[in-house]
Amino acid sequence: MSEVLGDFIRALRAADVRVSTSESIDAGKVIDLVGFDDRGTLRSALSQVLAKSEDEKQAFTETFDTFFSFEQFKERPQAANENDESESREAEEDGGDGEGGDPSQSGSAPMPGSGGMGGEPQGEASPANMDLAGLLERGDQAELQMALAEGARQANLNRIRLFTQRGMFTRRIMEIMGLDGLNEEIERRETSGNEKGAERLIEAREELRGQVRDYVEKQLEIFTANSGRQLREEVLSQMRLSNVDRSDMKIMRELVRKMAKRLIALHSRRKKVARRGTLDVRRTIRANIEFDGLLFHTIWKRTKVDRPKVMAICDVSGSVAQVSRFLLMFLYSLQEVLPDVRSFAFSGDLGETTDLFKREKLEKALTEVLRDFGGGSTDYGRALEDFESLAMNDIDHRTTVLVLGDARSNYGDPRSDILNLVHARARRVIWLNPEPRSMWNSGDSEMRRLSPYCDKAVTCSSLKDLERVVSELLRSAV
Amino acid sequence: MRDLTTDQQGATGDIDAIRKGFETRGYICNSHIATSIFLAEKLQKPLLVEGPPGVGKTELAKATAEMVGKPLIRLQCYEGLDEAKALYEWKYGKQLLYTQVLKEKLGDLMSGAQGLQESMARLHDFDDTFFSEEFLEPRPLLKALWQPGGAVLLIDEIDKSDDEFEAFLLELLSDYQISVPELGTIKARTTPIVFLTSNNTREIGDALKRRCLHLYIPFPDTGLEQRIIAARVPEMEVRLRTQLVAFVQGLRQLDLKKLPAVSETIDWARTLVLLHARELDAELVRNTLNVLLKFQDDIDNVDGEVNALVSKALQAG
Repeated sequence: MSEVLGDFIRALRAADVRVSTSESIDAGKVIDLVGFDDRGTLRSALSQVLAKSEDEKQAFTETFDTFFSFEQFKERPQAANENDESESREAEEDGGDGEGGDPSQSGSAPMPGSGGMGGEPQGEASPANMDLAGLLERGDQAELQMALAEGARQANLNRIRLFTQRGMFTRRIMEIMGLDGLNEEIERRETSGNEKGAERLIEAREELRGQVRDYVEKQLEIFTANSGRQLREEVLSQMRLSNVDRSDMKIMRELVRKMAKRLIALHSRRKKVARRGTLDVRRTIRANIEFDGLLFHTIWKRTKVDRPKVMAICDVSGSVAQVSRFLLMFLYSLQEVLPDVRSFAFSGDLGETTDLFKREKLEKALTEVLRDFGGGSTDYGRALEDFESLAMNDIDHRTTVLVLGDARSNYGDPRSDILNLVHARARRVIWLNPEPRSMWNSGDSEMRRLSPYCDKAVTCSSLKDLERVVSELLRSAV
Repeated sequence: MRDLTTDQQGATGDIDAIRKGFETRGYICNSHIATSIFLAEKLQKPLLVEGPPGVGKTELAKATAEMVGKPLIRLQCYEGLDEAKALYEWKYGKQLLYTQVLKEKLGDLMSGAQGLQESMARLHDFDDTFFSEEFLEPRPLLKALWQPGGAVLLIDEIDKSDDEFEAFLLELLSDYQISVPELGTIKARTTPIVFLTSNNTREIGDALKRRCLHLYIPFPDTGLEQRIIAARVPEMEVRLRTQLVAFVQGLRQLDLKKLPAVSETIDWARTLVLLHARELDAELVRNTLNVLLKFQDDIDNVDGEVNALVSKALQAG
């Protein structure tokens, strides 16, 4: 596999495109087949091997365009060259071994980041001993591009990770391209009175420096496209939800979606559909061969079905609201694995919000829930009474009841007897408390009276906690 | 290097040839789609085609089968599809008859055998044909592997099948072979060209995606759609065709439950030809909108926009 392809794949991975080893090998085969000649064909061919969803296709196209961009060396104004043609030729002769930039190479298409493309012989035109001055004087953009790419390769530019490394890499690439030789040449011209020639070279050198810096920056962008966001996501997933900034909400939503997707992938395999009442002919006959083919022992098609029913009771007052919001986000993103979720919201009165969430987009539904149920003074007793009349009859041995709240009931009776009833009927009762355990039972918190009737009472304050709880819910659901 | 270059030019040529081949068969596509057919053939990899319904995913497989001159074997996926319907099934009836025959012949077979041990030894020597290819009933996947000269296999709407079925396809897709527990592995006689299509109603597993080339077919742009209509409904006048395509393209910008796809555009074009329409007008559009849009909600939503869309389309024509 050529080095360019390796770099390109690394860039793709940085842009959140998942590329497996076997896909890299395929990409290599594709390049052998279609070659680098036709950019459009190459792009469409590679996109089919490397990017395998709509999102990835888009990321692929963007990365491809930046990675294989041709704009690096814009044609310099031709005039300067033509005017001084004789002089530049002179300079070339001055340069002595000005043929370092092997003319046979200038014909092939320039590729950024392409040191040794395909089977192209390497080392033949090692830029280190190339005469940079001559190169700049000739102003052959393709050749300069080649030299720059080769320099970048030698300087291991694809290892760039931090923006503070820009200067270092720029300098190193310039050096590899023959900066020392160029400076000597300038000096020599200055002392020999060729002011004009020296000036031109200095100008060209500064321009080259700019171009190299642009190139380095572009590469930095390619190889680290996503690392900033990845770091941010990691931090956010562990942050206490009540501290999450409003501006990060969008990333958080995305994050919940991602986590939910991961949970679905993890658990959906166990989802089974029941097909009761169909004779499994294949297995029946196999089982009855020993009875002479008489269908003596029948086997029915039956697959295990155990879809967990989840009822989530969410406190939507004050700081708990934030956590409720994410719990609901989670539960409703998991429709595929958890088809039977009922949700209830309360601060004072309790009401069912299931239909609202089915009908409206998550964001809008959440706002409506907060408007309708938030704001009242929290009363767990009343909420549980409401819950009893609304849903008690639907609780059965498959139901898991999730209660999310801080159990701060404003010194009202929390009606733990109702929770006891729920506990007796339901498969499990899980209490999620956003407060750290040390705060439980302090002040008007009624955890002490409520937790005996929970199979589990845990602290749940960050997305990571939520993910753990939901994952456990799914695991034991089957 | 020289050789490689000519090869590569050959690649572009081949891709173009594929595109033209499709065109003569009435399937108009861009070079992106042609490239994927080229790669699928050269790399011998299955091609997973995704895209909104009605953009011609299934049609692509049909056109390819016609072009390469191989039979198209189609497997429609649905929830609950299992290997007995997709791959093979034993011919139970025949197997039962076979045991009956065997029982009758048993006397002859065992005649002269001394004691139980020898009888068993003879029985073991006897050919075991109970599970053999004669009793195997091939279903589409096995048929595609057995087809002499190769075939084009279309596994349609893979997203409708269960996860188990997807996993079970993996062996077929990576090695073009399948394992029958009683017989061992069955290899393809000639590697078939495999298409899988998906409407993305659920996410396809990574393992499956990894084994396939991935082609996404979006809605066509104006130029391509015009060429498609010209190929499919040649009796339509150019002016009306331009207006019609412009209208549909405008319609796709709206927020609808189900956007009209190419197949709907073709149906609409045929409808308009039947009605001898010469030009789009709001009345005509309102009367025939149900050909394009499949939800009453959508039709109601578009109703208000029809005038604006038609006048825009008329400008294009």
